[in-house]
Amino acid sequence: MKLQVDFAFTQGSLGDYADCARRFEMRYIKRMRYPALQAGDPLQFEARLRQGARFHKLVQQHLLGVPAEALAASLSDDAELARWWSHYQSSGLTDLPPRRYSEITLQTHLAGRRLLAKYDLLALAPGGPAVIVDWKTGSRVPSRSVLRGRMQTVVYRYVLAQAGAHLLAGEAIAPERIRMDYVYVALEGERLSFDYSAAQMREDEALLSDMIAAIDRADAFPLTDEERRCRFCSYRSHCDRGGAGRLEDADFDEFEDVEEEDAFSLDLDQIAEIEF
Amino acid sequence: MKGRPKLSEGRAISLSAAQDEVVGEPVRRRIWLEGMAGSGKTSVGVRRVLRLIEGGVPAESILIMVPQRSLAQPYIRALRGWTEHRGGQVSVHTIGSLSLQMVETFWFLIAEAAGFQHPRQLPNFIGLELVQYFMARVIEPLVDEREYFNSVRIDRQRLYSQIIDNMNKAAMVGFPISEIGARLKAALAGGVEQAHIFDDAQTCALAFRRYCLSHNLLDFSLQLEVFRDQVWPTAQAQDYLRGRYKHVIADNVEEDNPVTHRFLRELLESSLSALIIFDRDAGFRRFLGADPAEARRLQDQCDSCVTFNKSFVMSENVASLGGHLAAQLGAPAAHEIDGDPRPALKAEAHRYHPQMVDWVTREVQRLVNEDDVPPAEIVILAPFLSDALRFGLAEGLAGRGIPLRSHRPSRALRDEPAARTLLTLARIAHPHWDMPPTNFDVVCALMTAIQDLDLVRAKLLTEMLYRKGRLSPFAEIRSAAMQERITYDLGERYDRLAAWLNRYIDGAPVDAIDIFFRRLYGGLLARAGFGFHADVDAGNTAQNLVDSARNFRWSLDFMSRYDEKLDLGSDYVKMVDRGVIANFYLRDWIADAETGVLIAPAYTFLLNNRAVDYQFWLNIGSEGWARRLYQPLTHPYVLSRGWEAGAVWTDEDERELNRGTLRRLMLALTRRCRKAIYLGHSELSESGYEGRGLLLETLQSLLRRLAREGQDV
Repeated sequence: MKLQVDFAFTQGSLGDYADCARRFEMRYIKRMRYPALQAGDPLQFEARLRQGARFHKLVQQHLLGVPAEALAASLSDDAELARWWSHYQSSGLTDLPPRRYSEITLQTHLAGRRLLAKYDLLALAPGGPAVIVDWKTGSRVPSRSVLRGRMQTVVYRYVLAQAGAHLLAGEAIAPERIRMDYVYVALEGERLSFDYSAAQMREDEALLSDMIAAIDRADAFPLTDEERRCRFCSYRSHCDRGGAGRLEDADFDEFEDVEEEDAFSLDLDQIAEIEF
Repeated sequence: MKGRPKLSEGRAISLSAAQDEVVGEPVRRRIWLEGMAGSGKTSVGVRRVLRLIEGGVPAESILIMVPQRSLAQPYIRALRGWTEHRGGQVSVHTIGSLSLQMVETFWFLIAEAAGFQHPRQLPNFIGLELVQYFMARVIEPLVDEREYFNSVRIDRQRLYSQIIDNMNKAAMVGFPISEIGARLKAALAGGVEQAHIFDDAQTCALAFRRYCLSHNLLDFSLQLEVFRDQVWPTAQAQDYLRGRYKHVIADNVEEDNPVTHRFLRELLESSLSALIIFDRDAGFRRFLGADPAEARRLQDQCDSCVTFNKSFVMSENVASLGGHLAAQLGAPAAHEIDGDPRPALKAEAHRYHPQMVDWVTREVQRLVNEDDVPPAEIVILAPFLSDALRFGLAEGLAGRGIPLRSHRPSRALRDEPAARTLLTLARIAHPHWDMPPTNFDVVCALMTAIQDLDLVRAKLLTEMLYRKGRLSPFAEIRSAAMQERITYDLGERYDRLAAWLNRYIDGAPVDAIDIFFRRLYGGLLARAGFGFHADVDAGNTAQNLVDSARNFRWSLDFMSRYDEKLDLGSDYVKMVDRGVIANFYLRDWIADAETGVLIAPAYTFLLNNRAVDYQFWLNIGSEGWARRLYQPLTHPYVLSRGWEAGAVWTDEDERELNRGTLRRLMLALTRRCRKAIYLGHSELSESGYEGRGLLLETLQSLLRRLAREGQDV
């Protein structure tokens, strides 16, 4: 069984492959949905994920013109979220270029495949900086070297360099203009920035091409040897890899940016098909 | 390199000169394109999108609007297949998905003006399952206490679904829900009792709407109304939508509703280009507010109009058959009628229904094995697809080694064996619900849950070990011979299941129902030796059940801010038991590998908008081919925009409607068929009655006429 010919790679799917080839096979090749529990305290885990999603929605609403006061007034039921919001307000958008695109998806191609990146926010200036902003609601900041090596950092910067020109009326975005900011709103808006360069882009391109080609060539997708990677994997029981991970060990930022191509809410009008 | 993508589907198709001309029109142009199904309109739409992007139009400035998601598949496939593209992404929307996104985004701007009682709290969008659930909560007391609808013999779920249908029509057509009763009464009320029914329907609709407004609930009708009247007029939504979508491709506009048409008309005012595609002789989603006449008004905003008349699909014989059938049903004779329909029609009459099913499966096998027809080029259609018919066809085809796929949107979640199993085990695990499953359900659940457990052994286990709502240990079977008969291996797996459930019953606290399903699935049923292990279909069904139960929990958790706490688990199981229909999950449809013979209701096939080589039409004696469902509380024409106030719907109107419906259906099906149509007829229907519907009558008249004219079939 092979990957579908029109499959689009994302930082999420590449991250899955880097974590465990078996997980990649189950999720993207066999497309096996597997509704097992991911974490030991499923309701708290879910509540925390929903809180993160709600924060991202708030930012999007704000960037599309809903007044901050109206949004703040809706947060009386969630003190934590209100705190994140206040940190976003005080530091989230400072020093960013003026042309802003929220929740935008860009696509490029590599090794015969599509590669997608869905951004929380792109802030651009003609002839100036091109900043990728990614909001994080986790309460732990990984080390710079861990963040630099994350698929998200690799894919997001590369895709913007390759596919962002049309956002500036055809003006190519040189890697040196690109910066990726992780903004930790739970930690008073702490920001970690990663610049980009032509050399880094070539390195990233080689890494991503090799991964994609390896996946396309692969006949076997072995289970990872590192059991710690299985703690929050929903296929854990399929592979007989122990119990669910503990909530306090979860890195929620890893779950926040799992994008699906064309992730659509259920169209409520589809329901009417029942009439047939 | 292995696994390299193929050339984009959108480019692989070669276009005619007429198609090329439309694709190559200057970018800044609004084009109206109409024609019959199969004349290559959507291919033009697909290629036009690609051309716009290649010409420098930012992909994210393109909006593709379709009446339902399945109709967007050619665009989605082409865009996904275009691996060389660098840039943004095209948006594909239905009015449902667009309005949901917009209402959610701009909620805090408009909630108060829209009349919601808690404008500073989040909205709760509810799908059909939950609409029916809340509808029951609001309306059941009225129905019971005030004896509403007492002269209509119809089950409650269908009654609610027609009230919902009325509200959706009001929103889609654009009239206040307070006018539903008056419109229906003026056109349809034959007497005092009938008038009362429409009054009752009106009262219930208003009661449900009040409930939604006071609880921040948005069903589809309210969501659309709020989008239409509150969100779309705001400066922010206008800035966003007009600023973003400069290029509009709207396909199958004849299947869309007046509110969508109005939105498109207004959006076109600020768009730089448009391609509006209209399918002639269609408008099948009439019950969903489809309004071809309103759609036509979009033509006024276009710079040029193009018509395609040539089919790229039908053979001359099939075209002739479609033309003859349509003419028989009163359509003006078209040039399609010229050919000889005889080679396109294969028929065999049978006395009994199973004989017909057997004939169908034999003919399919012959086509696949002897004529090398790919199974995906065959569809088997019926007006309705009952469980028995689906089962008979599936068994027959599987027995002959023919791959098949089946899509029946109205299939309830409870009818899927994996879902039934989870629900049955949930009942056992929650004795405080006081809803123990029947022995029959337990037998079925054990068979599905434990790999390799057959019916006989499942029955033995249930008879001996299912007592007082609990599963006792295997060791309680005293007879060693009986244990051996069941086998120790199966007994050990049974024990693991029983122990898991008993531990859950004896432990605390009780899980939320979706969490229970997930725990049971991952903790046991999906493990080696159990029935869901490595089973993709079971995983999909389980995920659908989990999603449905989780949405239910989320909505009711949300509601607990306003109302009393409810027992979510038992309420959910009761709701599924009542046959509340599963939401239509598109991923099921997409996930269908297009490799097998498709078995589907006729309209479902049509709205998938693809052509095949061979079609089998079954149960041609059924009234269902022409007659609309019995829906005493609603009416697709009376509640349409074109209905004249004060006009009365007559029996003659109904007959003419049936003939028109069948005429359009015949044209639509034949236009999606390349080579031949097989007619499956049995004198006695599935339920043992003789069917003499309009399709059978029309076919017989046609055959007699052809015989008289010397074209004996």
